[in-house]
Amino acid sequence: MEKNNNRLGWLFASPYLIFSTVFFLGPLIWSLYLSFTNWDLISPTYDFVGFKNFTKALGTPGVRSAFWVTYKFMIVFVPIVTAMSLFVAVIVKGLPKLKSVFLIGFFLPYLSSGVVASLIVKGFLSHTSPVQTFLRERLGLDIDWLGGSFSALFVVAMIMAWKFTGYYALILTSGLESIDQEVYEAAAIDGVKDSQRFWKITLPLLYPAIYTTLILSFGATFGIFTEVYQLTGGGPNYATNTWQMEIYSQAFKNLQAGYASAIAIMAAVATFISIFVIRKILEMWGKRNGWV
Amino acid sequence: MVGSNSNIKLRLSIRYLIAIVLLVIMVFPYLYMVLNSLADWSQVDRKLIPTKFTLRSYQWLFTGGETGITRPWIHAFFNSVFVSLISTALMMMFAIMVAYALSKLKFRGRDSINNFVLFHMFFPAIILIIPNFLIIQKVGLFDTYWALIIPKAMSLWGIFMYTNFFKAVPDAFIEAAKLDGASDFKILYKIMMPMSKSITTVVFLFLLMERWTELLWDMIVVRSDGMLTLNVLLSQMFGPYQSYPGPMYAGAVMLTLPIIILFIIFGKKFQEGMQFNLK
Repeated sequence: MEKNNNRLGWLFASPYLIFSTVFFLGPLIWSLYLSFTNWDLISPTYDFVGFKNFTKALGTPGVRSAFWVTYKFMIVFVPIVTAMSLFVAVIVKGLPKLKSVFLIGFFLPYLSSGVVASLIVKGFLSHTSPVQTFLRERLGLDIDWLGGSFSALFVVAMIMAWKFTGYYALILTSGLESIDQEVYEAAAIDGVKDSQRFWKITLPLLYPAIYTTLILSFGATFGIFTEVYQLTGGGPNYATNTWQMEIYSQAFKNLQAGYASAIAIMAAVATFISIFVIRKILEMWGKRNGWV
Repeated sequence: MVGSNSNIKLRLSIRYLIAIVLLVIMVFPYLYMVLNSLADWSQVDRKLIPTKFTLRSYQWLFTGGETGITRPWIHAFFNSVFVSLISTALMMMFAIMVAYALSKLKFRGRDSINNFVLFHMFFPAIILIIPNFLIIQKVGLFDTYWALIIPKAMSLWGIFMYTNFFKAVPDAFIEAAKLDGASDFKILYKIMMPMSKSITTVVFLFLLMERWTELLWDMIVVRSDGMLTLNVLLSQMFGPYQSYPGPMYAGAVMLTLPIIILFIIFGKKFQEGMQFNLK
């Protein structure tokens, strides 16, 4: 019996074991190896160059920007998406009817392809668009949205916020609903004012759900590619050059496979450490306030 | 609650009003896309709400219009459907199989595999894109459907979701079925699957949506026109066809509508499943 189960277990798990060997462990080692070479993706021979790729990468504006752009995106994107999804969740939560219709409606943007979202935004912000015409003729504002460093970053962050708000609102709504109404009543008796209700009761009890959405939204900033590729190509002047964008350009446009591998490893390390630190900070913040 | 009945009613109406306004703002980009795909070309991207309509943009997609270049939009749409469905089906099948092993079969090494799946899941995947591309190229799968399907046949997130779900199913069910002589395949098919309907909807929709909108991978592993998925084709047309915004919007509608329709059909089930997963 025991032996039989052993075999069956390995059999059932084998698709994953094969897959992770071929598409995870193998590539991981290969990538490490490539990062120490100067391979150009095409020629049959290449040389071992040691740490040259890494030292070279540290000095280029592309890699430096990729490092900082992620955090810039975080600073813009995470507060916006958190505030928006919290607002949506609070508004939708108390509705006796049509709540699921609203939630599903808000979720729809999440289904959009980054290409489609970029297409719409590009049309929306084009020179002749109704929005731009209005800004120009009525308010005298002539903004080149994708040409300015901050505005380009802001536009991409807003597309991301549009996309994720409904998803996070869904998480926050179920968090809000798991809060017992009696807690509010008890607090009212204890003299908690209406103005303090959110900070003293809702936020602490909602902390696990907020923690989830924060981790998800911080994580999402490390994977930004499509919108940037489509709208700005990483520009203007590297202002929206994300890790993925930089790796893609170096590997598949400039054909520097070895160099790009080195950048990919640096990106992975930066991502890993950042997420770890963010998690720790969020946990400390929760513990310090006694929310966890 | 203090306050009269009418006060509560007023508050509720305000909430509904805000919710509706918010919803309209959130869904507006889609509306803008659909309207522009149907708008007369003189009004595309020039009017917030177009007034004159035409089907020319859609016609253009099929014929190539005055450029004379027939772009394989229909073919790309078919590719997207084909690749997404097969990929997603494989992801689901493998996720369920592996999750059953990791949650309900007791075997030596199970805990190590479980930990490894978690490690794999949280590992930043960008390192893998170059070597994975090289593997596809080395084994001669570049520019084939296999290149689009095989590396996207396993979802760690899917394994993770199902493992957690299956863990919650009491072992007693399985032991009872075993006493009746049911095989593990039968248990999986007859007991575990029906019990996990709600989570299956959620996992299926998320995986399908992700596969359907994948850009980076699909962009690097296929080249010829006949192999492109709709998302990649639209992305390729993005720059050069800027002077034809109407057809671009029509292509965007083609890419967006199927997934939204599917989602609305499963909407109720999806929401139940989400509620379950989030608790």
